[in-house]
Amino acid sequence: MDITLIIDFFPKLISYLHITLLILVAAVAIGLIIGVTIALIRIYKVPAFNRLALIYISFMRGTPILIQLFLIYFGLPALLTLVHIDVSRANPLLFVAITYGLSCGASFAEIIRGAVNGVERGQTEAAYSIGMNEKQMLVRIILPQALAMAFPNFANSVIGSLKDTSLAFTIGVMDMVGRGNTLIASSLHALEVYMTLSIIYYGVVLCLEKGFSLSEKKLQRFEGSLAVDTK
Amino acid sequence: MIQLRNIQKSFGNQLVLKGIDLTVNKGEVVSILGPSGSGKTTLLRCINFLERPNEGEVMVDDFTVNSKQASKKEILTLRKKTAMVFQQYNLFKHKTVMENVMEGLLVVQKSSKETARKLAMEVLAKVGLTEKANAYPVQLSGGQQQRVGIARALALNPEVILLDEPTSALDPELVGEVLEVIKRIADEGITMIIVTHEVSFAKDVSDYIVFMDQGEIIEEGTPTVIFNYPKEERTKRFFKRINREAGILESNLSSVI
Repeated sequence: MDITLIIDFFPKLISYLHITLLILVAAVAIGLIIGVTIALIRIYKVPAFNRLALIYISFMRGTPILIQLFLIYFGLPALLTLVHIDVSRANPLLFVAITYGLSCGASFAEIIRGAVNGVERGQTEAAYSIGMNEKQMLVRIILPQALAMAFPNFANSVIGSLKDTSLAFTIGVMDMVGRGNTLIASSLHALEVYMTLSIIYYGVVLCLEKGFSLSEKKLQRFEGSLAVDTK
Repeated sequence: MIQLRNIQKSFGNQLVLKGIDLTVNKGEVVSILGPSGSGKTTLLRCINFLERPNEGEVMVDDFTVNSKQASKKEILTLRKKTAMVFQQYNLFKHKTVMENVMEGLLVVQKSSKETARKLAMEVLAKVGLTEKANAYPVQLSGGQQQRVGIARALALNPEVILLDEPTSALDPELVGEVLEVIKRIADEGITMIIVTHEVSFAKDVSDYIVFMDQGEIIEEGTPTVIFNYPKEERTKRFFKRINREAGILESNLSSVI
């Protein structure tokens, strides 16, 4: 083993970090849209859709992300050829974004649903009592509180997704792990490559955690301690 | 004027309101008394349709909503004419005191920010909390939170303020400040319907007393009549019990002292 190789590999690998982050951002963005939608469907028990949402969540939770990735990668083009759309040449990043977006969506939906149900009934009643309609009540009173409460779980889920993105190379995405594989092939120093990768992932996770904990304090300041200065 | 006609409400098989008729004139303060489980809170919540009555009509300021055919829009209009103060305060937890008071003005009444802010400051002054304008509810005592609740209701300038046991959740030493605020706004001629256990307060603040038991109005009238010359057996028994409890409390206190 040659520890000094880590210094050599580090810049080579981190130059692909932006791909990893791009996947994460896309996944979280898609996941948020899906998550809020599905959560609302579940909360209001929208007929038919509620059932579909349940199946979707259950399926995403019950299958490995690697399998989902392959299902989308091979399944989506097959589906789309039925309607004469050819995506065989589309960037694999697209499939990765869709898969991780769907996966995030399922976990976000459950997180948001739990948090919305966790907002006290009295908040809804107070909103109605001052004459708000349902939408105003939801958007101005319930969701802000629910999202603040959901934030720690949401942050955990995002960190989980970041780590999951390390599987994207399996369908040919050139991210950090993808680049790592080529390095291994050319240098035959697998351990050093994986050590470098673990340092980078761990570093990114630490940064995210720090950022999340700062945001959490800001978001939940109303839950807050009496130490907050009110002046 | 507020008028309730034949309000009936049941939860499952249990009829908790058995056809209530009540008229409250503009500027009147009406207190609803009665043992717990008598349906007083449910009645109050039927007025702004937080509970939808199974039967009957609610009229506020010439606007009538029939429980059978009330549309969402009608219920909304009714709610805009009323405001409520809750037993558990129910302040918007994620908003400051100021934002709590401004919320209805901005979102429901579509006031401009400056107008809302000015009005909010005025009502906060009335409840003595201007210096807490930027605090979050969690940073306030129960009494202060309830005074914000009153300010939030007051800011909307409703036809009637419905107060649901406004002091029941408070520590005994905080009850006074809240009652004092309610008394002060009652004196301003704001129409109020109060569900309360504070009998002596009700006597002091009300123009009219309604005594309920088991989903019915047993007796109603001016405080002088109701408290001094109750006609119905159940009313007498209720006051006797209340007096006895107060008596026990007093004798306990004197034995401590």
